Amino acid sequence: MAINILIPIDFSVESLNTLKIVLEEHKNEQVHVVLIYAQNLSSSITELLFHSSRKTIQSLRNKDFDDALNILKNSYESSLKSFHIDLFHGSNVQAFTNFARANKIDMIYIPQHYRLQLNKNGFDPLPLIKKATIPFKEVNWKTDQNSSDNNAINKLFI
Amino acid sequence: MRSIQKITLLLIISISTMLILFGSTIYYFQYNYAYSDFYKRLETRIGLTAKYTLKSNEPINQSLRMFREQHLEKLSYEKEYIIPLNDTTNLEKISNDSLLPLEFLLEIKNNKAARYQNYDVFYAGSIFAEQNRNFIVIISAKNYYATHHLILLRNVLIGGFLISVFIITYLSYYFSKRIYNPINKIINKVNNISTDNIHLRLEEIKNDDEINQLISTFNNLLTRIETTFETHKNFISNASHEFNTPLTSIIGEADVALLKDRNQEEYKDALNRILIQAERLDKISKSLLFLAQTGYKENRLNFDFIRTDELIMEAKEMMDQLIPENNIQINFNLLPENPLKLKVKGNKELLMLAFTNILSNACKYSNNKPVFISLASTNQEVIIVLKDQGIGIPPSEIQYIYDPFFRASNTKAYDGYGIGLPLTRNIIRIHHGTLDVQSVQQQGVTVQIKLPMASF
Repeated sequence: MAINILIPIDFSVESLNTLKIVLEEHKNEQVHVVLIYAQNLSSSITELLFHSSRKTIQSLRNKDFDDALNILKNSYESSLKSFHIDLFHGSNVQAFTNFARANKIDMIYIPQHYRLQLNKNGFDPLPLIKKATIPFKEVNWKTDQNSSDNNAINKLFI
Repeated sequence: MRSIQKITLLLIISISTMLILFGSTIYYFQYNYAYSDFYKRLETRIGLTAKYTLKSNEPINQSLRMFREQHLEKLSYEKEYIIPLNDTTNLEKISNDSLLPLEFLLEIKNNKAARYQNYDVFYAGSIFAEQNRNFIVIISAKNYYATHHLILLRNVLIGGFLISVFIITYLSYYFSKRIYNPINKIINKVNNISTDNIHLRLEEIKNDDEINQLISTFNNLLTRIETTFETHKNFISNASHEFNTPLTSIIGEADVALLKDRNQEEYKDALNRILIQAERLDKISKSLLFLAQTGYKENRLNFDFIRTDELIMEAKEMMDQLIPENNIQINFNLLPENPLKLKVKGNKELLMLAFTNILSNACKYSNNKPVFISLASTNQEVIIVLKDQGIGIPPSEIQYIYDPFFRASNTKAYDGYGIGLPLTRNIIRIHHGTLDVQSVQQQGVTVQIKLPMASF
């Protein structure tokens, strides 16, 4: 049976730990994953004119993130059926619920203690997720808040 | 030739070429226009003249004459010729009388109209028919416009060109000098840096242009050179120290034994102690030799396809023999499902040596606390992460860990020579991988090894 899962991320390797835990939990099922990054749309008309989700996502991704994603894809090749990264621009619970329904989300997984590291336009979608009617589940891992690890990919190996 | 002069010359030549093209195009079209326009003016006058002289009985034509005299500009040296034309007309005679060239008259006769130029005098003529008689009407005048205005235009263009070249020369010299000024400054500063004052750095400019990049590149290069200098100094002092300790004990042992006559047992003991120290010396010199060899012997090694998971298992088995009380835990959670993504191309013995080196360090400096190994692969690399909970490396010393014989200040209680890590790094470099060591003091060390995946 296939299950659709939504996970908020911040394009850091550490936020992918949620995905790692989810995939470990659903090892024997077929999982379709939507990774979302919540971002406020610019109010400038010229910026909106040239707005492109693909380019925005491309600019947020970095090599460590892609490597970590590839590691997870390679490790759970048989259960991870599809995944895509999307931007969420809504600002209220209803918008989020509609977004989740449109993606046929069955379950949302959010980090319990880890705080998403957001850039200047980004906002934390966790309050919206918690108020929405879609079932959600909190997962936790040992975060290293004070670590100044230069090698980001190590954060996946906790 | 220096770059300043090159750039100046290039700018002058290219801009002058453009100016010459521009000016000559203007002159060419103006020249063409001046001539065709003048002929048109002559032809207008022919039409008018023909009307009021040949049909002079019509009153309207008289007013045309008045109109011409009052409003149409009198051309310089303007002359009218009206020649009746019939079968008996002798054109040669007319030509001789009126100084009009014969071929021009013949051309009018044949083509009904013609143009002709004799130095600065222009002629235009055509045939008109009036009451069954034909007339040739010719008007000639000097082209004042062509002779005066065109010359003025030419002089203005040439003068403007010369002034522009003068300004361009100055500007291009000024700009190229301005561009090369910071580079010259850098050259002067770098020349001042020698081996005595290698700690000096170039001053970085605030803006983020190429010059600044060049400066920071220079500074990075200087830092690397300085580190190499330091490494060299450290290597000699560390190496002589390492060799000195066993030698001192050998000498001391022998001295004590030779102080007086002793029995056989005492000599045996002394020789045994000397042997231990000599073996230690032998080990150090052998590992040093090996380190030197791995530094350059890249192309003489046999490279095979190796599965990294098997390699790690074997390394753990070897550690179980060497340090039976170890606590190494292998975590295969992130192992890729496709076994092809675990294969690397490399020399098994060398990689084994690298892994056992790191593992034995991890066990040794953590007093056999748990050591975790994880293995994962992206689409291009196999990543191996080893974590221990040992004493860590002081942050100020982490830059020296790859120096041969360097030992961190907190490792006095542990046995070792400081060759393992540089050797491991050489091995990983031979395999075109990267070795990264991160550490939090008193909490442990995380070693990350990336090896490029074998391509089939």
